[in-house]
Formats: sequence, structure tokens, C-alpha cells
Amino acid sequence: MDKMITLAHGGGGRKTSELINNIFRKHLGNEEFTSDDAAVLEPAAKKIAFTTDGFIVTPWRFPGGNIGKLSLCGTVNDLTCMGAHPKWLSCACVIEEGTPVDDVEEIVRAMAETAIEAGVHIVCGDTKVAGRGQVDHMFITTTGIGELQDGIYPKGSNATRGDAVIVTNDIGRHGCTILLSRDQYGIDADIKSDCAPLWGTVSSLFTITKNLHTIRDATRGGVGTVLYELARESNKGIRIDRSKIPVDPAVAGVCGMLGLDPLYLACEGTMVILAPMDDAGKIVEKLHSGKYSRNAAVIGTVTDDEPGKVFVKTDVGTEMILPEPGGELLPRIC
Amino acid sequence: MNESAERARNIIENYNGKKIRIMEVCGTHTHEIFRQGIRKLLPHNIQLISGPGCPVCVTPVSFIDEAVWLSENKHATICTFGDLMRVPGTEKSMLDVRRDGGKVQIVYTPLDAEKYAEENPSEKVVFLSVGFETTTPASCLAVRNAAKAGLDNFSILTANKTMDHAYPLLADSTDAYLYPGHVQAIMGTAICKRLLKSGISGVVAGFTAAELLTAIATCVTLLQDDKPFFCNCYPRVVTDDGSPAARVLMQKYMEPIDAEWRGIGMIPGSGLKLRNEFSQFDARLMFDIPIMHGHSNPACRCGEILRGSVLPSECPLFGKVCTPEHPIGACMVSREGTCSAYYQYGRN
Repeated sequence: MDKMITLAHGGGGRKTSELINNIFRKHLGNEEFTSDDAAVLEPAAKKIAFTTDGFIVTPWRFPGGNIGKLSLCGTVNDLTCMGAHPKWLSCACVIEEGTPVDDVEEIVRAMAETAIEAGVHIVCGDTKVAGRGQVDHMFITTTGIGELQDGIYPKGSNATRGDAVIVTNDIGRHGCTILLSRDQYGIDADIKSDCAPLWGTVSSLFTITKNLHTIRDATRGGVGTVLYELARESNKGIRIDRSKIPVDPAVAGVCGMLGLDPLYLACEGTMVILAPMDDAGKIVEKLHSGKYSRNAAVIGTVTDDEPGKVFVKTDVGTEMILPEPGGELLPRIC
Repeated sequence: MNESAERARNIIENYNGKKIRIMEVCGTHTHEIFRQGIRKLLPHNIQLISGPGCPVCVTPVSFIDEAVWLSENKHATICTFGDLMRVPGTEKSMLDVRRDGGKVQIVYTPLDAEKYAEENPSEKVVFLSVGFETTTPASCLAVRNAAKAGLDNFSILTANKTMDHAYPLLADSTDAYLYPGHVQAIMGTAICKRLLKSGISGVVAGFTAAELLTAIATCVTLLQDDKPFFCNCYPRVVTDDGSPAARVLMQKYMEPIDAEWRGIGMIPGSGLKLRNEFSQFDARLMFDIPIMHGHSNPACRCGEILRGSVLPSECPLFGKVCTPEHPIGACMVSREGTCSAYYQYGRN
């Protein structure tokens, strides 16, 4: 096989087959993986959840993962947020001409490993090659189908007065990792992305309670953005306590230096869960035993007053509105 | 909160004396005071005024115009602190320049810009050197490194400023200053003591909630005596002598000039430029930049806001056409800017 991806690998002929067979089929092959124009699946007995997500990330490889792992986790976690058991995924890859084949294989291998961990099958896909500079290395779109579970209907609009606001792990690690990986700031810190497939983490809670009102992954925009989304969708207020928010000390340190708030940094393996306060203790205790949720915590509550707004209790005990996130995160001077 | 912070909080919350005004002149103070909700503790007779302490906020329109010109006419790679990206020039911000295909790199320190120039010898790299005494030494270090490496593709566009000359100018707007802890960590306390001799009061403040409460409570207490005072409330970081090494560095590379402060105007001797020995690293000379006359929105009241004479909410643009996403005046740009802090945290 060639060492570099060329436009010929996107031409549909022998080289395209070589790429698919030697890389994609080799790693992703399963009984449902198809060479035909569409995968044929056994219909689910229950309702299905169906979602799609596009992934571009610079750099494509970062501490704790790469774009392949990210593209799997993103869609698996979106299905998980609906309480749906992720079953099948498709993946469409646009690869930049000149990308080393070894890099493509590294990305596909990460997709395969993550698919196994998440218990999903990648059943169909597509590859295209774009001219140099038209994409950055590789863009991936994954689409997923999951089976809804009986008795679990989490939705943003379900937030109810008195619900506990739970984060399933410490926040802001993915965003911080990507920021540092771009190597613009000359800061070295031992921080790894939290990128992880969370069906196992979330479904482990179903043995305790199925009454999870809302599950939302705190990806782009971070936990702060998600809280505003939930406050708006449910027309409720949210109050959080800054001292309760779990943040890795290294992430907190970097945020302090760059003038950023971890509440607005992306997570790729951390969910926000809203559930009745009476169940919160058991939920957090269960989460603490999972490998992706050791730092889970209750950080606040849902209220009836101030609908659509999020308030933070500060270190001096006063309450401030959480500034609404917006635009690109720009580190500040000094 | 520790015991002394609790005590400070009590002093502030229970104050019922004459009306007093305290001005903070550090963007990070402004931001932390809002973020920690300290304004909510203040009784009506204590007024906190946010002065011109954010380097981004006082950077004139013409400076942004110069950077835009360098990108568009000289195809220079512009390296800048992140929060300068949104500052509007007469027609464009650096975000606009990047959108239109100009090369703009966000850096954390000037040293990163110098390193970038070393690694990319085919690019003409210009660092937008803004900041007070806290950031200026790093600009000097970048120039020192560039000279050592023999670079001919690195320069800095200076708009560095010093606070010394601004204090007397604004003294009528406040009863006491909260001096910026980071600046005093470099400059020491000599300037504060000089100001004290001319009757200007102030305390050096740190940045945690407890440190800010302590500094404000100290002002409140000492203002009762009706005589000028100075107190260093940030002794864990600020010494009388400051950092002589950083000052030597600044003196070696930079010299004072008259400088324009956005919204305030010219303050004689309040700016810094590279000394003639290092003029090969001065972007204005390297590229022969024409003189720019920046035009800001005439309705913008940033100047009065920086002087503490009006509140952001009294500006006709505030929150309507001027928001953090679409800033008109520089005080809305940086999260440390007064208008931005007021906008994000509400008006209380």
C-alpha cells in the first residue's frame, strides 16, 4: 500500500478498494459491515434514536485520543443522552491529499477500539479525498442509531424544580487539552482529554433509577453552555455552587493563566445529568465507581425562579449571574 | 473564607459613614470584583469605580489601524494577545483581518511571537506589544532574544503604557486607589509613596476574594481619618523594592514617550517605545508605517467610563449596539473591560 493518500485513493478504482480493504475493513470489519450500497440491519423491537455529527479538530491527535476516537464518542454519547443503547454507526471520512496512510490507520484503529468498548458496530461508510489544503488532515462524520430503553425518556425540557445538577466527571479537560496541543501558549501541563464513550457509565445508573430527567453531553461550549440550554428548554432557573464544581488542578491552573473559565471549556467524556435530589446521592456514589466518572459531583439545583438563567454562588457567598458564553474563547492579556 | 476576610466583609457590609469612592485601576481587579459578587456586599455609600486598568481598553483605535495596515499592505504575520482580537479599529478588527485571509496568530507571551519568527524565517512577524509594567518586561525579553538570534523578520508595534502618570490625572475621580498588585510586584511601592506625599491615597490589592475584601475594608477604615494613607495589602507578592531586574530590563530596551489612551487622550510620558539602539525591531520604523488618525464611534462614552465619571449603563450604545460579541468601544472587548464586566454580570 502507498505511504501517502493521493487523489487516486478517492477515484473509486483499485486504489480506493485498497484503502478500504487494507485500512477500514481490516480494523472495522464485523458481520454487518457491508460492501454494498447500504447496510441491512435487523429492525429494533423498540423505538430508535438517530443522530449525526461532524468532526474537525486541530490537531487531529491530542493527549487522550484522536479525531477517530472523538468521532465515535461524540455520536455514541449523543445517543446515550437520549437514554438510547448505541447499536450501529456509519462513518464518512474526507481525507486530505498527502496525509500519511499511517495516520489514517491510526485514526481508524482508534475508531475500531472505541467501537468495541462502546459495543457498537460501524456498518457502512464512505471515503473521499480532497485536495491539499481543502481539509485539515481528515474530517469525519458519524451517524448513529440506538435503541431507546423502556422507562427512560431524558429531555432538556424535563428539568424540574428541585432536581440536582450533576456532572459525571471533572470538567473542561478536552477543551484545555486541545488549547495546549496547539502549542501556541508555551504551557506544558499534564492534562489529557476526557474523550470517552459513556453508554456504560450512564446505563450503569439504570439499576438505581430510571428517573433521569435530563442527560446532556457538555461538548462545545462546555457545562456553562449546557446549563443555559437546559434552563431555556425547561423554562427553569439553575443555581450552581462554584466550590462544588470538580476541576482538575492542572486545568484550573491553565485556566487561571489564560483567563478562561473551565465552565466554558469543552468536555468529550462528561455529561450533565438532572435528576431528583433524593436520588442524587446514590447516583453520584454509583458514578464514583465507574472509570470515566470518578470525580462526579452534585454542583447545583434547578429552581422555579429566574427562568432561563443560571446563577453561581461565589467564594464570598454572594450569588452572581453566570455570564452567558458566546463567541470564540480568547485568552486574555496578563 | 478565612477569619480576616470575614472581618473585612463585616466592615464593608456594616459601613454607614460618609459616601466614599474607591477606584480600581486593574482589569483583573474589575473582573474579579464582579465575578466574586463583591459589589453585592457594598452599601450604597461605598462606590467602586473601574478606572483605566485594562491595557486593551486604553489601546487607541489608530494602533489597531496600524496593525491592519501591516497585514494588508506588508503581509506581515501579526502575533497578538487573544483579547486584542476583537478591538475595533476604524474599519476592521484583527478578527476581521483573519477572516479576510490575513495571518494572525494568538500568543500567550511576546516570547512565543519571537520563537514563531525564528521558526518561520520567510514570514515578517510583528508582535502587538500592549500592556502595562506586568507585560512590558516580556516584550523586552523578546527583543533581547531576537537580537541574540540575529533575527531580521521580527519586530514589535509598541503601545506599552505606564500607570504613574495616570494616577494624578484621575485623582479627582476617587478618594482612594486600589493599586494593581501585579504592576506593583514589578514596580515596588515607591510610586505609591510618592503619590501619598502629594495627598493621593491608596492600597495595594491582591486578586483573591479575601485579598480584595481586605483591601477594600482597609480603604474604608483609613478613609475615616481624613488624611492621606498608603497600605500594602498584598505583601505576600508585593515588596517595597518590586522587581529591580524587570525594571532594569525595561529601562535598557524602552524609553518614555507621550501616549494616547483610548477615550482619555494624550498623557505626557505615559507610553513606552523601543530605544534607538533597538530600532531595527521597531515595526513603525521597519515598515515605515504612515501616521494613522483612528476614528472611534462618536457616541461611545468609553473615555468617561474609564475616568469613572459615568457608568456603562449611561452610554447610549451599551447593551444595544455595543455587546461583547459586537463591541464598539474597547471597554466592551476584553472580559476585563468595565463595560464587558457590567454587561456580563448585570448592573449591580
